[in-house]
Amino acid sequence: MTGGAVAIEAHGLGKDFGSIRALDSLDLEVGEAEFFGFLGPNGAGKTTTVHLLATLLRPSRGIASVCGHDVARESLAVRRSIGLVFQETTLDRDLSVEENLRFAAQLWDLPGRMARPRIEQLLQQFGLLDRRRSPVRTLSSGMRRALDIARGILHQPRLLFLDEPTAGLDPRARRSLWEFIQGLRASSGVTLFLTTHYVEEAEPCDRVALLDRGRLAALGTPEALKRAAGVGSLEEVFLTSTAHPLDEASPASPAQPGG
Amino acid sequence: MRFLRQRGRVLSSVVRPFVWLVFAGTGFAAVFAGAAQLDYRRYMAPGLLGMVVMFGAFLASLSTVTDREAGVLRMLLAAPIHRRTIAVGKALAATLLGTVQALAVALILLPAVQLWPTPAGALLAVGAIVLTSFAIGALGLMLAAIMRSIENFAGVMNFVVFPMLFLSGALYPVRHLHRALQALAFLNPLAYGVDLLKHALLAGWAAAGYGGEISVKLDLVALVAFAIVGLAAAAPLLAREGGITRVAFREERR
Repeated sequence: MTGGAVAIEAHGLGKDFGSIRALDSLDLEVGEAEFFGFLGPNGAGKTTTVHLLATLLRPSRGIASVCGHDVARESLAVRRSIGLVFQETTLDRDLSVEENLRFAAQLWDLPGRMARPRIEQLLQQFGLLDRRRSPVRTLSSGMRRALDIARGILHQPRLLFLDEPTAGLDPRARRSLWEFIQGLRASSGVTLFLTTHYVEEAEPCDRVALLDRGRLAALGTPEALKRAAGVGSLEEVFLTSTAHPLDEASPASPAQPGG
Repeated sequence: MRFLRQRGRVLSSVVRPFVWLVFAGTGFAAVFAGAAQLDYRRYMAPGLLGMVVMFGAFLASLSTVTDREAGVLRMLLAAPIHRRTIAVGKALAATLLGTVQALAVALILLPAVQLWPTPAGALLAVGAIVLTSFAIGALGLMLAAIMRSIENFAGVMNFVVFPMLFLSGALYPVRHLHRALQALAFLNPLAYGVDLLKHALLAGWAAAGYGGEISVKLDLVALVAFAIVGLAAAAPLLAREGGITRVAFREERR
């Protein structure tokens, strides 16, 4: 199993949707146990990148390997090693909390004797024990996100993709999520790949990449980026490195998919 | 083994909302039971069962693109399973739904029109229902993989479902159709399914011209072919990012 110390490696990775170049040519390396932040305005290509690395999309150009497996040729092995937590829920709305986790355990090939205690532990950890038999559609969005995360880490992946995990959450839920992420970092050597709109969330990252219009605009530790731009916060790095305001779509390609 | 488990779950989430369809189907049967001459009602029995299969299996597959199903679909796409496993699993789920509903309706319909099949006929009928459900489920899945959104649903209903129903021999023998339409009927999987059901249930009336119109063998071959084509097309389409992945992960609709 090659993995070495590198969790993600991308060379010239690119993706086109028809005539739209969502991602131009990305070179990236993320080390194991690193907390990597991925920032950028809407339409920059962040979500496209995550989908490419998670093998949900096929690259138009370039190569990438995740946890030692090529995303194009060993996509199943990649999905086995990673956890995904997206903004959109990946849950069956009609099944109960517990049933969803059991279903996920089967999909990820966890043997029963491992799955059962793990599910119990997760239900407890995420405060879902008393709602274990409730159908997912009766849960609040914060609890659904919690369940999504539980599902994402159920199989103890070595790399966890978090695509805007705090989007749509109220401040308390957001705080719990951050505490959880910090706890996860402290207790396991999991690599975390975070994309977010909330630039300040990336301050605790080991390294940060800034994507703008499908290209890498900046890459480095938060400290280095701030020093280089001569500013005091990542938000200002963001604003000075990307040529246009945060919530305005790029004028060059107004209908860009992905984020 | 995996796709059995997975289809079981896909199923339990879909069965509940579709249980009402079973009741709708039996209601349908009851309405027809009073409508026309006994002979015509008997003639329509295979067609009616075909319609139940159609609605059951086809809608089950098409429901893949609905918002309610999107969450499960995302989980399936994120899991370390092949796209073809998802395709087969969903086709099997559609098969089960179509079959269960058709059998439930049959249990009420056949006695109502006094149609008692021979054991061989009954076996053929069940086989026909299962196979047709599978073929239509697979094709529905192919369509779902192409469809970008549920907004196309009405279009699908008009241009696919209703023509399939009217050109299936459910309401009248296919040979009564205009020749051009007959040619279309040959491309209609439901027509083969209904024909098989006629072989199974109306064998006694074959002499009067109400039985199956194509040979049983041809019906079987055709249905299997449709199923294979549907599945073969659905799996790569599911993998194709222009289709399902974009519908499921609607990143552009923030």
